Amino acid sequence: MYETLRFNEQDGVATITLNRPGGNCISMQMVREISAICDRLEDESKSTVVVIRGAGGAFCAGIDFDDFDPNAVMDIHGFNKWEKCCTRIERLPMSTIALVDGAAIGGGLQLALVCDQRLATSASIFQAPEVKLGFLPGMATFRLAKYVGLGIAKRLLLTCPEITADEAAGYGMIDAVVDDLDVGLNQAIHNLGPNHNVAVQLTRRLLNECYGTDYQNALGHFLAAQHRAISQTAFLDTLKQAKKGE
Amino acid sequence: MLDTQPRLLSVGTANPPERYTQEEIAERFEIPDPRIRSLFRSAHIHTRHLYLPPVDQRGAPSETQGELLSKHLRGALEIGPQAVERCLAPLRLGVKDIDYLCCITTTGFMAPGLTAHIIKHMGFRPDCSRADIVGMGCNAGLNGLNPVSAWAKANPGKNALMLCIEVCSAAYVFDGSMRTAIVNSLFGDGSAAVLVRADPADDRRFAPRVLGFNSQIITEALGAMRYDWDEHHGKFSFFLDRDIPYVVGAHAELPVDRLLNAHGLKRRDIAHWVVHSGGKKVIDAIKYNVGITEHDVRHTTSVLRDFGNLSSGSFLFSYKRLLEEGKVRRGDYAVLMTMGPGSTIETALIRW
Repeated sequence: MYETLRFNEQDGVATITLNRPGGNCISMQMVREISAICDRLEDESKSTVVVIRGAGGAFCAGIDFDDFDPNAVMDIHGFNKWEKCCTRIERLPMSTIALVDGAAIGGGLQLALVCDQRLATSASIFQAPEVKLGFLPGMATFRLAKYVGLGIAKRLLLTCPEITADEAAGYGMIDAVVDDLDVGLNQAIHNLGPNHNVAVQLTRRLLNECYGTDYQNALGHFLAAQHRAISQTAFLDTLKQAKKGE
Repeated sequence: MLDTQPRLLSVGTANPPERYTQEEIAERFEIPDPRIRSLFRSAHIHTRHLYLPPVDQRGAPSETQGELLSKHLRGALEIGPQAVERCLAPLRLGVKDIDYLCCITTTGFMAPGLTAHIIKHMGFRPDCSRADIVGMGCNAGLNGLNPVSAWAKANPGKNALMLCIEVCSAAYVFDGSMRTAIVNSLFGDGSAAVLVRADPADDRRFAPRVLGFNSQIITEALGAMRYDWDEHHGKFSFFLDRDIPYVVGAHAELPVDRLLNAHGLKRRDIAHWVVHSGGKKVIDAIKYNVGITEHDVRHTTSVLRDFGNLSSGSFLFSYKRLLEEGKVRRGDYAVLMTMGPGSTIETALIRW
């Protein structure tokens, strides 16, 4: 059904496995397929967690240069499509977890950054090599510093070092280094429960917006979001349980 | 096949000539209460166009209800015609080309209605059909656009004009209370006109078709926004419940999803959101309940910042800014959304 990835849903977990020979590089076809999966997740999925991982010993080794023609006039359209795709993952109504084993490079690093959590094996490496290749590291320019601070982000994006999973964890770029991704995933899913999608989605949105919003606006946003959350069944059930316990 | 869907062919807006910063208004009326002064310092409204009255010895405005009604008509006959002319000029139409006029206002009551006054004042044809929508509040622009579009569809090739005129400075009580201060710090005066026509000859125009409407009334919040008689002050007075913005927000998904479902669309298919500039709280509530972004409501917030809440015509000011931005493309969908007394949420779907 998909050319560049595999998709399955089981027990409330939807898994997108990037699957292209040569490191699961991001092609426009992959962007279209991830967007189609986002449609499906938004429209008909009952899953509460979305996992993104890579096949064949890599997470994602960056963008596929085969999509570019050096003799053609360059346009920005594909980069815009890719960022829109990232934003859609960032706004999915489910919790999102990136499982990294092997290379998370360039666009692969960007993809990991839009997920709520990142788990990696010690064999993983992270790098944003774009500046050394003469272009920009996508909206990692927007997201990376929020995880690691401006100083480290400048070093990682301007000098483009390969860093290990342990280093990435030390910088706050990933959440944990695990021996076994599936064991780590099960633990992460266990930690998320019980999963209240509206509360997750709104809290994540407020966090994503927190660096670009002044206090008065952030307070207004919080009150609007909190009103929505406390009007949901999940909070009303919490109140009923609390009353029962009295 | 001939396309007889009504289209929004042109929009024009107007405001009173005098524009005030919030600080200037607080100074003018010598507002001493620091809590009320802080309302006028909030960042989401910078300026408003108003027909401000003179002040008495105590720094308070002193207009009777009769004087307010006269001011409403006077203001309406200044800003209404300006909006009409600005709407018709790009189409090279004059008022004699208008076949149907619908006027909308909540800030003044009269019989005959505003349509009669506008027709006489501007020299419309005497056979111009007309309708007045009075007292429906901030949502009324879409309550008007619905029958105006239906009229246009039923009368292909004929010109229907909807004109929202709100002189909010003719609808206030000034008593130093928070209740009235919230209202007095929020609303501005403005008028907006939109020309609607269903004509296959317009097929090549870059103008959106009106595809449908959907409404949601929240009857349990009937009294939460109301403009009723205040016996003590001998004037009509507007009341806004503290929590109504959130209640409106909590119901906003319902009409939006019904509207989109009826056309086989999802929220992600909507390129533009034109939301009423009701106030910061209600804009936030719409954003976080419908799942739209600050960027989606950029014109809504900029209209609020520059004009305050213009009641029924507000959304057309945002719509005009959307057009002026020049980013709309053929095939784009937009949702228009207004909120007001009822309490109610009105929505419309349009497509370029």
